[in-house]
Amino acid sequence: MSFRNKLLSGKFTVTAEISPPKGTDISGMMKEARTIKDAVDAVSVTDNQRAIMRMSPLAACSALSQEGFETIMHLTCRDRNRLALQSELLGASFLGIKNVVVMSGDHPVKGDHPGAKPVYDLDSVQLLDMISRLNSGVDISGNGLEGKTEFLTGAVSNTELTEAALMKLEKKINAGAHFIITQAVFDAGKFSEFRDKVHDACGKQIKIIAGIIPLKSEKSAQFLNKNIAGVKVPDDVLRRIKAASNSEAVGHESVGIEIAAELIKELRGICDGVHIMPIGAHKNTGKILEMAGI
Amino acid sequence: MIISRQKEFKDLLKSIKEQDIFIIGCGKCATKQRMGGEPEVLEMKKKLGRSGKNVVGWTVLSSACNLSSWDEVLSQNPGIAKAEALLVMSCGGGVSIISSVAQRAVYPALDTESLGGVCRDAVVMEQCGMCGECDIQVFGGICPLGQCPKSMLNGPCGGAVEGKCEVDERKCVWDEIYERQKSLGRLEEIKHIHGPKDHSKRRRRV
Repeated sequence: MSFRNKLLSGKFTVTAEISPPKGTDISGMMKEARTIKDAVDAVSVTDNQRAIMRMSPLAACSALSQEGFETIMHLTCRDRNRLALQSELLGASFLGIKNVVVMSGDHPVKGDHPGAKPVYDLDSVQLLDMISRLNSGVDISGNGLEGKTEFLTGAVSNTELTEAALMKLEKKINAGAHFIITQAVFDAGKFSEFRDKVHDACGKQIKIIAGIIPLKSEKSAQFLNKNIAGVKVPDDVLRRIKAASNSEAVGHESVGIEIAAELIKELRGICDGVHIMPIGAHKNTGKILEMAGI
Repeated sequence: MIISRQKEFKDLLKSIKEQDIFIIGCGKCATKQRMGGEPEVLEMKKKLGRSGKNVVGWTVLSSACNLSSWDEVLSQNPGIAKAEALLVMSCGGGVSIISSVAQRAVYPALDTESLGGVCRDAVVMEQCGMCGECDIQVFGGICPLGQCPKSMLNGPCGGAVEGKCEVDERKCVWDEIYERQKSLGRLEEIKHIHGPKDHSKRRRRV
């Protein structure tokens, strides 16, 4: 069953994030994807994430679809104006890419090309609105298309929302987002509050997929807290992984796997899917999902 | 007011090939910001002298970007005729105007940053994104093009955490816009989806 049908029919979906290579050699990316092929409904392919230049997600998604993967193409507003975004989307549609997830994109100063011109011709709300138009057969200027797109569109969100951020999320949903992927969740209770808030403000039709980052060590948890906007590893989780780091018998990586699996079990009843975003490789993703009973 | 900042002196010195230099300050924005008024011109004269350049004279024009007669400037400042190059301590507007009449090399001493202003004696930056289709009233009078590094028109991006911008730790301007509109009872203005800017409005006038 396609990711679209599974998600929209209310079944629990499992997706995972893959990064295109920094270079032209896709063998590492393909190997990585193969390790999770049977465990996920779709792989999402990032777009110069953290403003670090990599192969285009369009090319990477195309390579993955040729091997039978269903893909979710990320598309940021950072690097392309409205012409480039639309032509990328038409190209993606032609190549069989059925799902896109859009975001503003980290500012170039955060990445490895800090002097690049930040484009942001559209913001994520306007981009979602534009995709809705492409899906109905017209471009953003109102010109008709020879063949329309049929994207299932997603947006992203932090789980701790200010009033202004909730307002923007509401606009994303009104602009046509079918699903939301959240920033990494570490507290099912807090996630549940977020979900209720979104359902109250935007209605219950929106599908909410919880982001999961399996922790590798206390250091990686501290890194996330310090460097990744919207991620907050709570103190009790930090203590648990720290205790494991000090105990040779347990090992911090296996505790990270346990934490992620327990979290997915807790979240299963209160979200529409989970999206695994590992730090580095997917080698534990299959095990985490198995332990979570998926 | 045009907001500018002084270039690093070592970079400036590296760019100036000529030996005999005349310095021109500006009595308007650059003076107000203490970037190109008389004290800064005199400091520049001292630094250039110490670096082996020959400063043949200096002046502070009432406004570098508003020049009624270059001949008058020349007659009041005979040093200009002896100079191989001019160093202008104003915004890019002033440097361009002077370059158009000076018939010699003209160097900018400042980098022009944004359109700002002065409010209760404080210099405020990035007050206007110069989009050519102003609808600042929608945003509570706070320009998101000027103040948000991503020019977001529909709310904060995901990089804003605990009220801070992901780019430079300044306050997220979208929280300010939201609070301003809330306090004015005008939240409806920002709740609708704001369409993209029409960049053709920024085109050159003929």
